[in-house]
Amino acid sequence: MYRRLLLVASIALTMTTIALAEQNESWLTRSGYYRISYRSDLEPLAINRIHSWTFHVETPDGKPVTGAVISVTGGMPLHNHGLPTDPAMTAETGDGNYVVEGFRFHMNGAWELFVTVDVDGKRDTAVLALTL
Amino acid sequence: MTRKKSTTTVIAVTAAALLAAGWWLFGPRYPADWSDADLALLRSLSIDSLPPLPADPTNAVADNPIAARLGHRLFFDTRLSANGAVSCASCHQPERRFTDGLPRGRGIGLSGRNTRSIVGTAYSPWLYWDGRKDSQWSQALAPLEDPAEHGNSRLQVARLISEDPGYRQAYESLFGALPDFGDRTRFPDRASPIAAAEARSAWQAMSTADQKLVNVAFSNVGKVLAAYERRILPGPARFDAYVRAITAGDKTTAQNVFSDEEVLGLQLFMHQARCTECHNGPLLTNNEFHNTGVLSSPGELPDRGRINGVRLVRDDPFNCLGDFADDAARNCPELTYARSGVELIGATRTPSLRNLGGTAPYSHKGQSATLADLLKLYNRAPLAMIGHNEVEKPLGLSRRELKWLEAFLNTLDAPLAAEPEWLTPPAN
Repeated sequence: MYRRLLLVASIALTMTTIALAEQNESWLTRSGYYRISYRSDLEPLAINRIHSWTFHVETPDGKPVTGAVISVTGGMPLHNHGLPTDPAMTAETGDGNYVVEGFRFHMNGAWELFVTVDVDGKRDTAVLALTL
Repeated sequence: MTRKKSTTTVIAVTAAALLAAGWWLFGPRYPADWSDADLALLRSLSIDSLPPLPADPTNAVADNPIAARLGHRLFFDTRLSANGAVSCASCHQPERRFTDGLPRGRGIGLSGRNTRSIVGTAYSPWLYWDGRKDSQWSQALAPLEDPAEHGNSRLQVARLISEDPGYRQAYESLFGALPDFGDRTRFPDRASPIAAAEARSAWQAMSTADQKLVNVAFSNVGKVLAAYERRILPGPARFDAYVRAITAGDKTTAQNVFSDEEVLGLQLFMHQARCTECHNGPLLTNNEFHNTGVLSSPGELPDRGRINGVRLVRDDPFNCLGDFADDAARNCPELTYARSGVELIGATRTPSLRNLGGTAPYSHKGQSATLADLLKLYNRAPLAMIGHNEVEKPLGLSRRELKWLEAFLNTLDAPLAAEPEWLTPPAN
């Protein structure tokens, strides 16, 4: 009985961990200065709707990064075009979180986003791949 | 004997090869089954996925029935033009799905571009081929002062509303007291900051306060026109009936609704022909700007498209961030985060593919007389005359495939989803 409970508990724990990992996917910037993740106001992501994202920036060892300026560019590598909008950071909300407004995707397919974090001139860029 | 035998064999093999090639090229072809991803895409293209009409916070009377009725009357009123012969409905003809059947619109003169339909434009963040307007109401103002269209000035438009008792009463019930524009010392015959030179100098001579009175009345005319226009929506087409049947697993109904050629055309539309990259969502448009290498109109320089449009919409006093927009919060993400850049040179806004049948000719200057002409052009993927054609390689569709694609596109025609009274001139 005890073993069965342990089994159920461990399965539940594993599933929870997987779910969290999916929600909290993170990307290390190219030079390894920052680790970033995001949460979209539009969930699930869909085409042709303008919306905002909140980025979370932390150091590789997990400390929130404050005072950063976030900029985002990107596009569809297979289509040779950029984002249809020019998203911009509008607020730093504390604890390493930054609001970037003005995301819109106008095609289904593979997108690539270049997210640059700049803290007093210490710049580094992460490449986020996403498929809509 | 041997030679005779081998000759017979060669003939037989050649004949068999020719037959096989003929069968492959011209024989019947049957559509493949839809995958789960295909079905999801089909659902997203169906009119059943169209969200409710989006609110327009910049237009406080957008959903007001009195405004819609007033807008309906103005839409068909030729007195809004300088020569008394042109109304909005001259180019946006309800029986032609609110287009005019001409390569370029013809009002008082020849308009710069092909007339786009107003059907379903309430869903678009941008209006016009170059997106130089960001709301239906702001768009409705531009033709009134375009010398090639209505050829009027905003002061004359405001004066018409104030002098017609029916218009004045409806206007005042919506917006409050309308100033008296009869005093010619304050309000000259014609005045506008963007119309002909004489009207521009008359505008300069007016006081800032009087200019504002005119601008408010003028922008309200746009808002009532938009209240009417936003009620004109596309209706469910044969394509939507097909999607409904096929996603419900009802193959019998699906086969009755669509021929094999139409299904094959739809499959090309979604895959090899790459149409859904831009013609996506239930209105079959992403309302974005793309350079697809459409040739310029003969004898004209190529159209610069969105690269000019984005500058114009940012500078427009009647845009979402301007003084005449009703949304005090100035929540205008589309305009605020609109982008510019070389990619937008020669880019024009993706049109909806609903009701193509009644809206020829096609492209921003009506360069393609028929749908077949347009499909041939996309199939070739020519180099853009300015900027860069996003479709870099020819699609490689055969003549037969182009016919299937055209057959499918014609399944998107349907009666409009609007009250019948909106589709004819008002009774009085």
